[in-house]
Amino acid sequence: MIRLENVTKIYGTETVAVRDASFDIPKSQFVFLVGPSGSGKSTLLRLINRQEQPERGDVWVAGRNINELPASRVPYLRRSMGNVFQDYKLLLNKTVFENVAFALEVIGKPRHVIARQVPIVLDLVGLADKQDRFPNQLSGGEQQRVSIARAFVNRPLILLADEPTGNLDPTTSEGIMGLLDEINQTGTTVVMATHDHRVVNAMRRRVIQLDRGVILRDQERGVYE
Amino acid sequence: MFSRIAYALRETWESFRRNLTLTAAAVLTSAVSLLLVGSTFLIQRAFENLLVQWRGDVEMIVFVRSDASAEQVALIDSVLRASPTIIDIEKLRYLNKTESYEEAKRIFAGDPVTLGLLTPESIPTQFKVVPLSEDPLLVRSLSDQYRTLPGVEAVALAEDEFEVISTLSNFIRVVTLVTSLVLLLVAVGLIWNTIRTAMFARRREIEVMKLVGATNWFIRIPFMLEGLLQGLIGGVVSCGGLWVLNSAWTSGVTGFKPGTGISSLVVPDSYLTSVMLILLGIGAFVGAVGSAIAATRFLDV
Repeated sequence: MIRLENVTKIYGTETVAVRDASFDIPKSQFVFLVGPSGSGKSTLLRLINRQEQPERGDVWVAGRNINELPASRVPYLRRSMGNVFQDYKLLLNKTVFENVAFALEVIGKPRHVIARQVPIVLDLVGLADKQDRFPNQLSGGEQQRVSIARAFVNRPLILLADEPTGNLDPTTSEGIMGLLDEINQTGTTVVMATHDHRVVNAMRRRVIQLDRGVILRDQERGVYE
Repeated sequence: MFSRIAYALRETWESFRRNLTLTAAAVLTSAVSLLLVGSTFLIQRAFENLLVQWRGDVEMIVFVRSDASAEQVALIDSVLRASPTIIDIEKLRYLNKTESYEEAKRIFAGDPVTLGLLTPESIPTQFKVVPLSEDPLLVRSLSDQYRTLPGVEAVALAEDEFEVISTLSNFIRVVTLVTSLVLLLVAVGLIWNTIRTAMFARRREIEVMKLVGATNWFIRIPFMLEGLLQGLIGGVVSCGGLWVLNSAWTSGVTGFKPGTGISSLVVPDSYLTSVMLILLGIGAFVGAVGSAIAATRFLDV
């Protein structure tokens, strides 16, 4: 599903964010990218959804080299991915329902599709009864659920999560991880960047460990260490 | 498809409301600049009317000194009549002091100061000459000859009047055109800035839109529509202004008696309508350009 071949990303002239990274993530896998801040986790995610392009190497998604994709096709690539962030990136002037519907609206989905899909996914994340609330009226965990609902509503092949539990307490984090696991069970490939030991150790999934842009370890059913 | 159009219109309207002051500034600037552009067109047209009317009836005027004797006047008259192949004797007219003063009252109706300097006693009398010849050089050489006659104060050629008017109209055209072009550029800049501000205000939304895979055109179109609308509204306002200006001008100018040339400075309604359409077009274009630049430049927020 996702394959990196000797990818190097340099910011500016000398800041090497990722150095010669290669890995292959098959469909339906759940992968943790771990490492301290600045180790290149976020950059890897940004390379996969083509917010960044590498200086060297290739990034393949669903059998296509996305660095050869013309800019006009990038939006269609992104429709096959959902994104979840540490700071949720919800629109504060929209309700829960509207936030999730927005993701379908702006890719031109007809109204009846939106009316059908949004309640289903809100039900999945457990917020069916709070669809008319605004983000400020929700707890952090609930906001993150909205953002996961938004990322998943279009049934993407891949879910990219950048520190999704970074702002949450352990109990809430557990709930979020359960949700991501559930989404993974539907066949969606999940790539999650985190430095949350507890979460990684509890899940026992594939772990790719980074340090200063270099992959130190790539282990099936790993722990954080 | 329908939901996309509805989305674009709704977003345009929302953004319009949110940035009311900036929008008003952009609209007013484009309105003022377009009004100037329109005025340029109308002034040009008015002067053309004036020139056209005079061209059809070329005249040479021989002014006679107010203290000239009756013999001198008779001599001038006979000299004029001595060139029947060049001068249309049938249409040769002599205006005495009373008639000349009456005419002056008409010409200077809008200029009481000049009129006040003239009295029926001090005013030069005049021969109105309609040349038969089409050759302006021939008429000019004739006028040089008349100028040397005793009692002649001056000889005026319509041709010279034209030059004054064309110079004047060219000058006005250049000034108004340059001013309106500068103002149009300012309008583009203001619309650009309004759109940029609108996009900055919505950068979170744009970021989310890009992440969930909205196309650049989908993101851009509401902003471009907004700019287009601003230019278009500016155009509508300028059309209203132009109509008011032209109505005032027309009612002012038609007060003049015919033959003074002033009343010919009226612009026909059909021409006004086409100028208005042009203004709407330019307005829409200016808005589209300003917002297109902004929308393309600032999409990477």
